Amino acid sequence: MIKGVVTILWKDLLVEWRSRERLGPMVVFVFLIILVFNFSFALGGSALHEIGAGVLWSAFVFAGLIGLNHTFAAELDNNCLDALMLAPVSHSSLYLAKMLGNLLFLLVVELLSLPFFSLFFNLSPGLYLVPLVAVLTLGAACLASVGTLFAAMSSNSRLREFLLPLLVLPMIYPALIWAVKATAIVFEHSRPSATGALATAAFWPGSLTEPVSFLLVYSIVFTTLALMLFDQVLED
Amino acid sequence: MVAALYAVFLYVPTERQMGLVQRIFYFHVSSAICSLVAFSLVFVASIQYLRRREERWDRLAVASAELGVIFALIVLITGPLWARPIWGVFWRWEPRLTFMLITFLMYVAYLMVRAYAAGSVEQTRRFAAVLGIVAFVNVPLVHFSVNLWSADQQLHPQKVELAPEMVVARYVSLVAVGSLFLFLLKRRMELELASQTLNRIRQKLDDERGDDGP
Amino acid sequence: MTTGTVHLEQATKRYGALAAVNSVDLEIEAGALLLMAGSNGAGKSTLLRLLAGLIRPTQGRVLVNGQPPHSSLESRAEIGLLSHKTLLYDTLTARENLLFYGRLYGLENRRETAEAALANVGMSARADTPVGTLSRGMKQRLALARATLHRPGLLLLDEPFEGLDRRASQALSQRLTDLRARGETTVVVVTHRVDEVVDLVDRVAVLERGRLCCDSAWRGGGLEELQALCDSHQEGV
Repeated sequence: MIKGVVTILWKDLLVEWRSRERLGPMVVFVFLIILVFNFSFALGGSALHEIGAGVLWSAFVFAGLIGLNHTFAAELDNNCLDALMLAPVSHSSLYLAKMLGNLLFLLVVELLSLPFFSLFFNLSPGLYLVPLVAVLTLGAACLASVGTLFAAMSSNSRLREFLLPLLVLPMIYPALIWAVKATAIVFEHSRPSATGALATAAFWPGSLTEPVSFLLVYSIVFTTLALMLFDQVLED
Repeated sequence: MVAALYAVFLYVPTERQMGLVQRIFYFHVSSAICSLVAFSLVFVASIQYLRRREERWDRLAVASAELGVIFALIVLITGPLWARPIWGVFWRWEPRLTFMLITFLMYVAYLMVRAYAAGSVEQTRRFAAVLGIVAFVNVPLVHFSVNLWSADQQLHPQKVELAPEMVVARYVSLVAVGSLFLFLLKRRMELELASQTLNRIRQKLDDERGDDGP
Repeated sequence: MTTGTVHLEQATKRYGALAAVNSVDLEIEAGALLLMAGSNGAGKSTLLRLLAGLIRPTQGRVLVNGQPPHSSLESRAEIGLLSHKTLLYDTLTARENLLFYGRLYGLENRRETAEAALANVGMSARADTPVGTLSRGMKQRLALARATLHRPGLLLLDEPFEGLDRRASQALSQRLTDLRARGETTVVVVTHRVDEVVDLVDRVAVLERGRLCCDSAWRGGGLEELQALCDSHQEGV
């Protein structure tokens, strides 16, 4: 089964490498959103560092939706989905491959956008880069687990671009709350305090544990749920 | 049942602390309860539909979802109407309102999937059932997150002291709204059954007419 | 791979009130080539998809080599499907497509198998071109290579000649002849282009409105006879 997952995932990465129709738009989109938010809030005079985490995750979610839309696009083109269903790979393998693909793309976009973000919002993770990456990965996992399932459901609808966000956004609301909070904690800890010294030299801010655990639980719960239900979505 | 509704209006005037508006409380709370009951019905019906593939479970799911959404909408409308005079604001991002709003949106999405998914009727039902399950799993997660999150914004009183008459009124209204809910549920399911039967007859007629065609 | 035997027992597929395939009983012995005919909308594609295991029967049984085609990973490996859609990834090259499917089917020596398959359909020269840039005829030949890569016991062809010109059709026909000569594969063909398969047919089945109204062996004969047999059931008696 792992072999099936790896095979399909590798194929997806290869297809994306050739066509570049997902990663490119996603990165551009994130960049634009960060810029737009930056203008609106900077002009308004709000403290950018307070809303930074929220802006970041809003950008990720919307870019993520673009990527999610394309999850099954290559499969629908020439009825390749039929071929995947005919092949001796379980449907769970297909789900996992697609979910991991989405996770990877999202993670790449997130990491690529961090420099832009730091530049425009004057926020940087500093010492806490590793915890931040952990938060980004888990947040992406939450989005990918739910989004892949719904992408499969909305792919053949004529209203796919409308249906997918409508399904995904309410569903990831809890994960979004925690991801924003976790990110805000990281940025808060890495800001020099009034005396100019860093708040703490600890590797992992204690208050980060709660949101991160939640994100972990969320992604596990929904991945498991999606694995159980994916058969129902594919079969006819 | 209708009589019970009127009883709420007539009986209640015995207490009036926050004014006339306070009466909304009875419907507001009862609607919220009914709405959540409806969504749990969607969950159960969705699971059963996927296991048994019997149409009556699907009918229960769609009827419950619609009613759940309607009652949630009532909660979301009566809430601000009540809040404005009492708290001074129509809306605040506090736990219960946010929870109700997100839940409402999820099930609106459920209804949209049923309306807009392409593909066969059977496939739409399957997708809806999957969504019915996933959405309900999300409900406690939303509840938990939102509570931990905006607890500082809590506007809803956590515990309420009710005069005895109010307690009675509260339960009466719960029964009244609950009966309304069950009544509408039954009707909606019958309506769905009738609609499906009609479609079947239409299709059969189309088939037969095709026989004599060129 | 064991050569596929097909057994359909009262196979029915309903979509709502409509029975796309209705109570079909059919037996196909190993190595035979069955031509499935019938007017548009008669249910031929649905029946093919039932045989492939892509959809499940509402009632009745569909068995390939004694098992439902979707029941296990092994039983899925018995089936090959060629339809008028290529089931190939346009952005990948011919070779990459075949290697992907080879890996998916767990083939040993997939590189050699892929190369042999490419040579077999005359695509070796174009192995490194993205599939999207190939002509329709070449795509279809490649699709056949894909469908037969894992040596399925049962090969299903759904309008394989659609959109092909004379030369390409003949090339595809030739491949089918070779395949059949080896005798390792049971073939079910749905096509209107009876002229392309007239020399290969062992059995003919005609579907009308989901029901099987004709199922007979074909002992050879001219094109007109075959055509007449297929058409005779289309006037709706």
